Amino acid sequence: MSAPVTRLLRIGIDTGGTFTDVVAIDEATGAIFTTKTPSTPHDPSIGVLDGIRKILRVARDGSSIPSATPSRPTVAAVSHGTTVATNALLQERFPGLGLVTTEGFRHVLEIGRQAVPRGYGNSYFWVKPERIVPLHLVREVPERLNFRGEVLRSFDEAAAVTTARWFRDKGIDSIGVSFIHAYANSEHEQRMRAVLEREHPGAHVSISSEVLPEYREYERTVTTLVDAFVKSRVAAYVGAIQTRLDAELGAGVPFYVMKSNGGVISAREVAAQPITTILSGPAAGALGASLLARAAGFDRVLTADAGGTSTDVCLVEHGVPGLTTDGAVGRFPVKVPMIDIVTVGAGGGSVAWVAPDGGLKVGPRSAGADPGPLCYGRGGTEPTTTDAHLLLGRIPPRLLGGEIPLSVERAREGIAALAARLGLEPARAAEGVLEIAAWNQANAIQQVSVKRGLDPRDYTLVAFGGSGPLLAGRLVDLLRLRAALIPLSPGNVSAFGLLTVDLKNDYVQTFVQRHDRLDYATVNAHLARLEALARAALAAEGFAEHAMRVERSADLRYFGQAWEVAVELPSGTVDEPGAAVAAERFHDAHEQRYGYSYRRAAERGATGRQTVEWVNLRVTGVGPIARPKLRERPPGDGRPARALTGTRTVVFSEKPVECPVYERTRLAPGDTLAGPGVVEEYGATTVVYPGQRIEVDRFGNLILTRAGASVGTA
Amino acid sequence: MKKGPAIDPIVIQIVEGTLASVEAEVEAAIERTSRSPMIREARDFRAGIHDRRCRKLTGRSYSALVQPIVRDFPPATMRPGDVFFHNDVYGSEGGIGHLPDLCVTVPVFADGLVVAFVQAFGHHDDIGGAVPGSMPSHATSAYQEGLIVPPVRIYQAGVPNDDLIKVLVRNSRLPDSLRGDLDSEVAACRMGAERLGDLFHRYGREQVEACFDAILERTTETFRRELLSKIPDGTYVWEDYAEHDGVDPPRLHTQRMTLTKRDDRLIIDFAGTSPQAKGPINHAGDYADGVFLKKWLAPILRNLADSPERMAELDVNEGVVPLIELRFPPPGTLLTPVFPAPTNARTFVLLRQLGILAGVIAKAVGGRMPADQETIRYTGFHGVDADGQFYLMREVLGGGSGGRYYADGSDTIHVVPDSKNLPVEFTETRFPLIVERLALATDSGGAGARRGGLGYLKEFRVLRESAFLCVADRAILSCWGLRGGKAGAPFRVTIDPGGPNEHVLPGLVDDEPVPAGTLVRVETTGGGGWGDPLDREPELVALDALEGKISARAAREDYGVVLAGADGACPADGAPRVDSAATRALRDRLRAARGRRPFFDRGPGYRTLAGVDHAEVDFVDARGAD
Repeated sequence: MSAPVTRLLRIGIDTGGTFTDVVAIDEATGAIFTTKTPSTPHDPSIGVLDGIRKILRVARDGSSIPSATPSRPTVAAVSHGTTVATNALLQERFPGLGLVTTEGFRHVLEIGRQAVPRGYGNSYFWVKPERIVPLHLVREVPERLNFRGEVLRSFDEAAAVTTARWFRDKGIDSIGVSFIHAYANSEHEQRMRAVLEREHPGAHVSISSEVLPEYREYERTVTTLVDAFVKSRVAAYVGAIQTRLDAELGAGVPFYVMKSNGGVISAREVAAQPITTILSGPAAGALGASLLARAAGFDRVLTADAGGTSTDVCLVEHGVPGLTTDGAVGRFPVKVPMIDIVTVGAGGGSVAWVAPDGGLKVGPRSAGADPGPLCYGRGGTEPTTTDAHLLLGRIPPRLLGGEIPLSVERAREGIAALAARLGLEPARAAEGVLEIAAWNQANAIQQVSVKRGLDPRDYTLVAFGGSGPLLAGRLVDLLRLRAALIPLSPGNVSAFGLLTVDLKNDYVQTFVQRHDRLDYATVNAHLARLEALARAALAAEGFAEHAMRVERSADLRYFGQAWEVAVELPSGTVDEPGAAVAAERFHDAHEQRYGYSYRRAAERGATGRQTVEWVNLRVTGVGPIARPKLRERPPGDGRPARALTGTRTVVFSEKPVECPVYERTRLAPGDTLAGPGVVEEYGATTVVYPGQRIEVDRFGNLILTRAGASVGTA
Repeated sequence: MKKGPAIDPIVIQIVEGTLASVEAEVEAAIERTSRSPMIREARDFRAGIHDRRCRKLTGRSYSALVQPIVRDFPPATMRPGDVFFHNDVYGSEGGIGHLPDLCVTVPVFADGLVVAFVQAFGHHDDIGGAVPGSMPSHATSAYQEGLIVPPVRIYQAGVPNDDLIKVLVRNSRLPDSLRGDLDSEVAACRMGAERLGDLFHRYGREQVEACFDAILERTTETFRRELLSKIPDGTYVWEDYAEHDGVDPPRLHTQRMTLTKRDDRLIIDFAGTSPQAKGPINHAGDYADGVFLKKWLAPILRNLADSPERMAELDVNEGVVPLIELRFPPPGTLLTPVFPAPTNARTFVLLRQLGILAGVIAKAVGGRMPADQETIRYTGFHGVDADGQFYLMREVLGGGSGGRYYADGSDTIHVVPDSKNLPVEFTETRFPLIVERLALATDSGGAGARRGGLGYLKEFRVLRESAFLCVADRAILSCWGLRGGKAGAPFRVTIDPGGPNEHVLPGLVDDEPVPAGTLVRVETTGGGGWGDPLDREPELVALDALEGKISARAAREDYGVVLAGADGACPADGAPRVDSAATRALRDRLRAARGRRPFFDRGPGYRTLAGVDHAEVDFVDARGAD
């Protein structure tokens, strides 16, 4: 018997509402192991540790190395995606949170942007939701800067002390500080924090000039308050896991937490920038999907992560998901850079219902996992998309390889009742429910791509999550997509994504100036300062200077616009030619997104001169982490019949068709299947519609296309 | 009503969802690329999708009309790539209210035929005319209000009409901005037209058009069943007023509405409306059977739905039109002005109509409607900045909404969806101004069992000599309170408050000189209160006092609540406590002292203009009042 093989495993662990998904990769061989364990919402760190123990067992036992060789798994690193910050926010209750602002601006949250959502005249009935901090917990301190950061009124230290003590005496221990124009000069906010640290040492303090040094006071203030609020909660959560990990694996195993910008941060740094971990789950999914697609040769990709409640859609170019600085969590603007994801309320649990006007609607309400769809038999009372899939034979009458049996009868009753209200045959109603759900997803995809001026027809859809592969084929037809790619283990793509990301920190400085009057010295000074911050943070994470990557960009717009477009800056010192390159890139990007630009506007005398304006300077520090090597699978004999497990009656266009059912794990690269058909695997089902075909690629991905369409790769 | 073939409910839903998505995509594109703060922040722009019969299909908002385009350009003559343009108020069939609303219309083609239209209009910063910003408050003729453009082709078969664009741009004080806004609207509408063309391509013209019919019929039915059914059959009369027209001295410009509910329909008669004003507050409404006004007014009906959540779900499209009949007075009134009567401040009439409809319905339904709000007014500065460039800083500040039977009014809101104020940090970066205070105006919300929302108190320090401009109604009259609720505080601009040159400006000002260093205070309207303030829960009054939304004086005098502590003032630290016994006694005394109460309270400004405290129509019989 040979000596035990040492496996060096990187573990990705994604905590969802119902399950905690775990993926591990063997750094040497690229072997991938997956498992899942129930989430433990009362203390998610328990589920995390359960998951780690379970994956280590799987890696030890389910070794792909000859079984005679025992393996001893060693953990190289753990990356974790969590929704703890998001969940804290979505509670909509913010005990112990206070705000310090500039004298004269006590009502900054009350006033907000005066915006009433949705329709014209809604102001008559709309009731403004509670503010994140009630007015009586907002305190003003005398001080004032102008937009250049020059002091108009000096910081009133005595008033600051009174304020700090007032918060201390009230027991308010999460405090956001947001002074007008602090993005241009952080000194007053720094002094306020020093006073708070001295007078109220127990408080968690966030200052706006660190959280988001960007102009627009309302958004910056809310973002800062969100940071202050989640700070103690995220720190406690991450700390608890770190402690348990150290006990379990021994101290020193690197522990990373996913950020919404598509990077990770080491756990010990999280407390300094908790807000950057908001929306980390969807970001990991988009990254995992884009890596899989890129390896498979697809560069222009739309990712659709469809779970029980919703579908997250993201657009990926050349392996890089789009970023936005205009994000929100619930109703709160959170303007830190995050992967640009549009969420639509269409998932497996989306409820089909008849509106008061008689129209058939699907979602956004969801039966979730509990009580879940009718067919779960756990007390659900309304038909869902899963019930429709079941009734039509698109999914087997059991979930997760048989762990959860499904009741076709309950689904049939519910759908039949719905159909009767609409005067339709049940099968037609079921297909209609799915058609509407598919259109809801298709419109979300349109919005994502139109926003960027892109045509979905040039893109391949990577469909994952528990319910993503079911409708992927329909979306290919509706949007005339190039293809859909369904990765292996679609339910684990988010956890897998955690293994594909680099360390990444973003730094921004608002600097509003017209392009034709750009002060290069100041631009370069800002960039140098931001870059120094980025490099220092990476050095603290153990990256050598040569291993660091620093990306620089600027947000530009035409003078007078309110929205900016981010463009990459050329390397080196920014001088006149360099700035001109940036402006050219801006014209290009504007042209691409919106269909026009003013590149040559200066030549058109009568129609005015269109000036470019610089708004924000950004630096991103990247500490690269080795990407997992994806293993190719051995080609098969080209006879997919080996994977055939039987047939099932599936309804398409109201006609029952006897369809072949394939077991995914037994398909091999090179296999092709013509629709209609169904491919089943643990946790997901792929439907191949009539007129479509599937090809298994060398990584085991299913590539689904319309018959006759050629995929190629792009 | 025409009964179409049986239509698949699934395709209807898909068509409806796609229409909403395209509308949102067009608006998002405009918001992201436009220049005028009026468009990109205040969101004074609207996209609409219309069928080939000019019926509006989308429902989030009102929009202009396609009627003037097809009137002048028969669809058979349209070609793919054509883009139409107009802003001519009197040639717009009532769809355009004032000249700065520049409207772009793009036909959608399927199988070589025009099958629909995508349209957008936006309020541009400046289109020429007598004053910067193209809203001359003292205008007496449309010719002073800017360049008038009847329906024309701004693109012909995809080729821009550069000569026309040159003329448009040349007439603006802010040519770059105008050009940018125009391009933004055109690009967004063309994108929307392409998306809509795909829908026709996929489902075929016949099926898509059948869905359009079904979508509109559903709206008709929903409004009839859920909203109109709440109004008892009968005839109800009420009136409200604009208070000045910028030319004549302030006086009541009456806008009267007689609402008859009969046979599941509403007949709205505007008889009794005052003659057209000399100044720019007229609205040209009596065209195309008032189809624009019907769609403009219908959103108010949503307040009759069972819950605020349901109200928000109801869309207003062409389906409301068959339910409403409008009867206009003969030409020559505020609503039927004769060209070239000026119209740039037509919100004084148009916006007021929303409140009058709410009021007249309130009389019919025992007051279960919201009290009054006023949220559109333009304030700002213009001058020359440090670079010697002309600048125009103008924003639309909202106000408090009225109290509702289920909630207090909300503070500083706006009637236009997603309309935004200007960030202070943007204002100070771009213009020679410092905002010294951005606050809610204490005591501005009308007292009530459900208090009116508060208006703004915003103070600007002017760094360079400049001119102040203002187009605002409700600077004398207030937003009315309902069913025992009190009126809110009116709009007010004070130059140099507390200083040697302190003076209050009227609501219509083009160019009040403001020396460098001067402070300018803008206070906007509070919403009217709903229900008797003496019935407001004392602990809510105490919370309002703690937060400074009302003063201790108002707590005592308006609400009859005695707060513990010396002279009723809030303790400096901690929540004020209610002295329950003293409150009961004070409330009994206040109740006993008051006389017959009107259904509507118009505030003290009414006596200034009318000589009395209430209009005759402000009272209802005991049954209606309770």
